Amino acid sequence: MRKLVLSLLVALAGTASAQTLKIGAPQPMTGPDAPFGDKFKKAYGMAVEEINAAGGVNGKKIEVVIEDHMAKNALAATVAEKLITQEKVLILTGGRASGQAMEIASVAQRLKTPYMVDHPSADMITTKGFEWVFRNNPTGSIYPAAFNDFISKYPDAMPRSAAVVYDNTLFGKTIAGAAMKFLKSKGVAIVADEAYPVNTLDFKPIMTKVKGTNPDYMLLVAVATTDAILVTRHAKEMGIQSRAFVGFGGGFGVADFASQLGGLAENVFSSAAWSGNPNDPRTKAFYDKFHAKYGIWPHEHEVEGYAAIYIIADALKRAKLTGNLDADRDAIRKALLETNMETVFGKVKFGNWTGPTGDPFTNQNVYSLEHSVLAQWQKGQLLNVWPKEFAETKLVFPDPSTAKK
Amino acid sequence: MTRRSAVAWVAAAALLAGLPLVVKNSFFLHVCILVFLWTVLGEAWNALGGYAGQVSFGHAAFFGVGAYVTIVLFLKADVAPWWGIPVGGAAAAAFAVPFGLITFRLKGPYFSLATLAVAELTKLVALNWEWATNGSTGYLVTHLPPLRLGGLTVDWETKTPFYLAALSLLVVAMGTIGWLSRSRLGAWLTAIRENDEAAEAVGIDTVRAKVLTLALSAFLAGMGGGFYAFYFRYVDPDAVLNIGLSMEMVFIAMVGGLGTVGGPFIGAVFLTTVGEAMREKFQVGHLVFYGLFMMLVIRFLPEGIWGRVRRAIRRAPAVEVSRGAA
Amino acid sequence: MGALYAMIGIGLTIVFGVMRIINLAHGEFVMLGMFAAFWSQKLWGLDPFLSIVLWTPVLFGAGVLVYRFLLRRIIPGGELNTLLYTAGLSLLVANLALLLWSGDYRTLPLAYAVTPMRPLGVAVPVALAIGFAIAGAITLALWLFLSRTDAGRAIRATSQNPEAAVLMGIDVERVAALAFGLGTALAGAAGVLLAPSLYLYPTVGELLIVKSFVIVVLGGLGSVPGAIAGGILLGLVESLGAVYVSTTYKDGLGYVMFLLVLLYRPSGLFGVGKAG
Repeated sequence: MRKLVLSLLVALAGTASAQTLKIGAPQPMTGPDAPFGDKFKKAYGMAVEEINAAGGVNGKKIEVVIEDHMAKNALAATVAEKLITQEKVLILTGGRASGQAMEIASVAQRLKTPYMVDHPSADMITTKGFEWVFRNNPTGSIYPAAFNDFISKYPDAMPRSAAVVYDNTLFGKTIAGAAMKFLKSKGVAIVADEAYPVNTLDFKPIMTKVKGTNPDYMLLVAVATTDAILVTRHAKEMGIQSRAFVGFGGGFGVADFASQLGGLAENVFSSAAWSGNPNDPRTKAFYDKFHAKYGIWPHEHEVEGYAAIYIIADALKRAKLTGNLDADRDAIRKALLETNMETVFGKVKFGNWTGPTGDPFTNQNVYSLEHSVLAQWQKGQLLNVWPKEFAETKLVFPDPSTAKK
Repeated sequence: MTRRSAVAWVAAAALLAGLPLVVKNSFFLHVCILVFLWTVLGEAWNALGGYAGQVSFGHAAFFGVGAYVTIVLFLKADVAPWWGIPVGGAAAAAFAVPFGLITFRLKGPYFSLATLAVAELTKLVALNWEWATNGSTGYLVTHLPPLRLGGLTVDWETKTPFYLAALSLLVVAMGTIGWLSRSRLGAWLTAIRENDEAAEAVGIDTVRAKVLTLALSAFLAGMGGGFYAFYFRYVDPDAVLNIGLSMEMVFIAMVGGLGTVGGPFIGAVFLTTVGEAMREKFQVGHLVFYGLFMMLVIRFLPEGIWGRVRRAIRRAPAVEVSRGAA
Repeated sequence: MGALYAMIGIGLTIVFGVMRIINLAHGEFVMLGMFAAFWSQKLWGLDPFLSIVLWTPVLFGAGVLVYRFLLRRIIPGGELNTLLYTAGLSLLVANLALLLWSGDYRTLPLAYAVTPMRPLGVAVPVALAIGFAIAGAITLALWLFLSRTDAGRAIRATSQNPEAAVLMGIDVERVAALAFGLGTALAGAAGVLLAPSLYLYPTVGELLIVKSFVIVVLGGLGSVPGAIAGGILLGLVESLGAVYVSTTYKDGLGYVMFLLVLLYRPSGLFGVGKAG
């Protein structure tokens, strides 16, 4: 049996030539998160194709090695370890969900391999002082930044009370916690604080309860698109009369949200880590190209994955690679520290700073706060409305369809 | 156990202990650690499921309790893992007593469903009892305490200490189950498995025997959880209290051989390697083979791989392992 | 929703009653029903509420085949073997679906069902209302089948007392195949009806099966009316629990109820099943 294991491991060991620069990406290719793994696979594929077609990195081709972690933490650690020691990748990215990303970060830190986080949003990943871990995307606690800015500055927008409904995952709790902390600091009463399990099929009972508290603002947090759509549907159907419905999480910004909710989506705000401005030529070019290639419109995930490969390629280009794996990984880490560029996701520069809830960040994109945008559904389209300098249209507030007359 | 087989077991353990001196490939050691850990969990499950015929779908609860107790003791009270892991196991065993007193009032599939429900409730509590578990945020260990053994500082960044720790757990688990299979308790369990009412009729306190076994089983699973916490260094409810975890323990014992000491090890090796090879070959479809494989084993090797091999080796008349749970 | 869960539960309970099998692959049959509805609408433009007429017999046939070729030989091996065997089957089917159709979350929107009806000011989703009505009709038809036909009586007799059934000259083998086919057809039909109201993806079965177990146990394993009552009860408890206790522990309430019933009313609140 032992022999079998050994020969198997030899067979598993990497075979690609030293000519390619390898990037490892643990992603959920099967299991409950499989659709997300596929999004990243497509995004990486397109970036790699473009970079290699343009001559690669310093004459070498790049390659992304994806390993399936099935959304299981222990398996995420296993495949990260395998990518580092067997596939001998120079750098890791991916991860998808925060639990798995924690494991990958932990392994990367121990085995001294850079890990460029592209999507997982738990604050903890970049607040533990892991100097080998970098993150381009905003953390959970940053999601409400644009919303906080809006209620502080827009005339008469400060909530008189707020109901917060969020899923009981790390994602949901982080965002809801950050939003509530800010609201409380402004003296806003939180009249309902309700956590629900992911994939709830019926939100009407929660909404019955919330309706009784008569909230001025309705804040909804969902990590799953399914929940985002259903929680909004049931909140509206129960006839909650708030001046604004604000959604946090990718699901509130996808096309399905409008197509399935129809009129119910109208005037709902989405405060997201990123909601691409389709009028920006760079974003539009990416959207069109991605759609032409795969036949689907990209969202946050695809943009993050695509941008990650460009950030990594940029660091690979600047790092002096010698062929010694340990030295090269350190060189890449140092190159990442010097990153200062702009991708389709936005500006990126890694630094150490203090986050909105007081946590010390290590190697977190310093432009994260600026990535947060408040958008609003208007006539079936999601348009950026805040901050003013990114606004595509005038925002509608209070929501005439739900606010008390 | 004959003297010869005892010698064989000790030699095998010694050989395994020497492995890190020869093999430097850290990923290979990682796979070995996983196999050891899965074996421990499979043995734990097997004590109850294999010997006593009580199919639990809730063993993740014990694993989770062990993991949480161990990591919380370390982070909040500076209790080093080598003390924390046995304490975690003991906590899981303590947790098993009420768990058993509730669920053992039921038999057969009703017991199985009840364990599932209790495990899900445990997970729900872990998700929401922020004060003790930190909720869905979970606990992360970034540094392990320094340890000097025989003048050498243990390097936690290498695999060897974890490998040896996992191997020790494996020895403890296999030793315990080996003892169990020959003890009076083991004989009671077999009687319970074959016919619960008859066992009761001949004066066996079946509930006490089952609860004792469950506590033992939970102790092993809890230590496995504690080890997991320090090896993977991150504990959250989804990772350590998952139904999938309970199911995998069942598979391992089942594929290897129910009610055997060696079975779970074979099951763990097989599933780890087959799983890994399939994952490699068929990115998306690998679980198809996993499912197919399970069905084939149950269809053609209902006594498990080890059970079959052992029978072939001994050429003894087959010891029929009856699997009726009730 | 409760009625549809109850339908899934009835399928589970019939199979258990006759064969003492807890079919862990039951949720996957629901999933297959959902995908069948999805593809027949996508490819042939068939409304799910029409295609159910096609898919129910197809799934019945599939169930009979699964029983004949996969399950029959396993059953003598005991409850644990069958349990694990169906767990393997569930993995196999779910991942085959994943391979074939990818893991995307799909929806089956019906043009006429976007805006909810509002009888008495309470919003009721159209698709769910129709699904509810059809599920009710199917359940009624099933009840008539079980109580009025010979085959139905044979099923009930077998689930109440298999030994006696054999003595009465019932072909238990045939009854088992029939029951398994029926259970599969019910699961599939529920899937078809659920498709317009739920997201469909290959692993959706997991989500559904846990709830169906709770329902079936509440009503008493093996009892058809029990499953119906269990479905309604669980729906009520979850709704009221969310309002009066807390949303987070709402699912827990279902489990606690499940345990209490198992412990103190092992035959279910209304059931004929027996535990212990």
